[in-house]
Amino acid sequence: MGQSDRTATSHSLLLKALPKDPAMDPAGQRLAELVNGIAGKKVPVSSFARIWSLGSLNARLTAGYFAYWLRSLFVGQDERQRLKSEAHLAAALKLFGTMGYLRGAVMKIGQLLANLPEVVPEEFAEVLSALHFEAPPMHYAMVREVVLDEFGREPEELFAFFDREAFAAASLGQVHRARLKSGEEVAVKIQYPGIARTIRTDLRNFRLLLQPLCLTSDWQNTLDKLADIEQMLLMETDYEQEAYFNEKARELFTEADRVVVPQVYGEYTTKRVLTTDYLAGSHLDQFLSRNPSQDERDHFTTLLTVATFRAYFQRHWFLADPHPGNFIFMEDGRLGLIDFGCTRIITDDEWELIRDLERAILDRDEAGLNRIVATACLFDDPEQIEPERLDVVRRGVCWSMEPWLHEGLFDFGDREFFRRGIDNLMEMTRKRYTRGNPLYLWSNRFIFGGRAFCCRLKGRCEFRKIYMQELAWVHPDAAGTKENKGC
Amino acid sequence: MRISEQAKQESRARILEKAAELFIDKGFEDTTTRDIAIAAGLAAGTMFNYFPSKETLGMSLVTEALHTGIGDFHCRRTGDEELSEELFLMINSGLRRLRPLRSFLGPVLERSLSPFPRKNVCQEGETARCEHLKAVQQIIGRHGFTEAPDYVAMTIYWSLYLGILAFWTNDTSPNQEETQALVDYAVRTFVQVISGSEKEALHGAE
Repeated sequence: MGQSDRTATSHSLLLKALPKDPAMDPAGQRLAELVNGIAGKKVPVSSFARIWSLGSLNARLTAGYFAYWLRSLFVGQDERQRLKSEAHLAAALKLFGTMGYLRGAVMKIGQLLANLPEVVPEEFAEVLSALHFEAPPMHYAMVREVVLDEFGREPEELFAFFDREAFAAASLGQVHRARLKSGEEVAVKIQYPGIARTIRTDLRNFRLLLQPLCLTSDWQNTLDKLADIEQMLLMETDYEQEAYFNEKARELFTEADRVVVPQVYGEYTTKRVLTTDYLAGSHLDQFLSRNPSQDERDHFTTLLTVATFRAYFQRHWFLADPHPGNFIFMEDGRLGLIDFGCTRIITDDEWELIRDLERAILDRDEAGLNRIVATACLFDDPEQIEPERLDVVRRGVCWSMEPWLHEGLFDFGDREFFRRGIDNLMEMTRKRYTRGNPLYLWSNRFIFGGRAFCCRLKGRCEFRKIYMQELAWVHPDAAGTKENKGC
Repeated sequence: MRISEQAKQESRARILEKAAELFIDKGFEDTTTRDIAIAAGLAAGTMFNYFPSKETLGMSLVTEALHTGIGDFHCRRTGDEELSEELFLMINSGLRRLRPLRSFLGPVLERSLSPFPRKNVCQEGETARCEHLKAVQQIIGRHGFTEAPDYVAMTIYWSLYLGILAFWTNDTSPNQEETQALVDYAVRTFVQVISGSEKEALHGAE
């Protein structure tokens, strides 16, 4: 295939996968041209970085989503202002293309930005899964240096066997298969050198560049969210922290639960290297390609629901990176959970607010719900919230709680249901009703990511029953409370 | 009295060892040749028979470390590496050997490896440069380049390498991990220059 053919194919793939703006760019053509234009442009200072980061279609796609998010801020501007804003956008995108000397960081930040609720991901599930399992950018010589620095020994000396080829991209690194000298098959996650600094620098540059675009009243809230993203990303650079989350998660499940969290090998784990059991099994795409029965689909949906509720109620966690690569469909019917780097701990105040919200919905307490929505949208006084904002946000909350209210099997494969959630998110974005506690970045990611997964899985489960069971673990009396009586 | 070759080698090794200790403890600038001679149990005059200046001494430490690093590289290379990967491995093997000396290397490298015209070229520095570039040429030769790279390519390489050394001596990140990223970048830049295409540099991007 010639160069021009490849370019054309790449362009059409990009065009297909990019979000479309019904008002400004219904075919997505302008957005694709903008992103491609920047990808093809020589950037004098750091053209090298450009080759690295916008070289791949996936990177361009991420840039496209980012651009889409930014452009949504121009809605309502006059033509002159819009042109000016687009010039800023081009500059911001150019930075996006050059930031980070390692594509891993670009992809990770791209993913997270694409998950800001301001972004409208139409093909949410497909795009998220496309962004994972990138070809790993670290060659083996670099992996060896990291291992040597962390353990004072070469990978071949440390392990009985170490696969030089990575088998997966992971949080800010890549994963290699290996075997311990004691015989266990393990997965060794290796972090890109110097990633933390890249993250800090990139996000600082972002803030600087976005400033002219975002002089809205909610700009401070966007900054707060970016700060939250930065903090979470930096937390993800500490694999010892992740090992801790992993072990705490592991304690939550018994054999009877059929949910497996791999064991961490502390002796082979540092801040930059994480070694856990290797879980054999398939990822979502492989699982689906075998055309599984409805029972199998329901079974895994049930396990996933149990697992997330347990982490939620017992640990007050959002497993905020629910992408398909983190779930393993094991041959014996167990569900493997891996990668706890992006675990957002819900603070006590946040927990109270969320639980109040849940109770208000379950109790059908209209006034209470309005008050809590206003608080969540950062209004001091419930009277201040505009009626339209209240309506849109409330619909979003109710959508996220629908399965909680549903008796019997809930069908997550119902595309219409998923679509309504996405439509609500789009409406919130268009109307700029996205102001809120940064926690909602992660709860949105958690809810939409998990539901997109189950939607693709076409799975069903007794969601409400599982909710009540898991709640009863922590609040044994809760089953008899008003909250859990008929709704 | 004639001293044996073995005794000479022992004295030389002792001077280098003591010099390294003092440079690390007191810094390069604040250590005098007299301090080193005393620590090594030699008269200052005798020491000059081995090393004519403090700079030569400092650079001898570097040259030896880099030489050992090239040896390490040969042991470590598997033969499966791509060009940029092999260069990365060679540079990092050298840096690893230099690491114990890192705290005082800034002024040593500046004086001995400066690419600017000087009255007195540091012979030790020249030796290190020639050995390093020879190793680079051998690596390039193994990857299908039949002609030796011209002076432009090698000047570019050396400039990048000096930049890496300068960055590395200032790098405060854990295990100088930011330097590793820089080495990776620099090596890919160089490979792109000599291969005249983006193919190698782009490897893995699509």
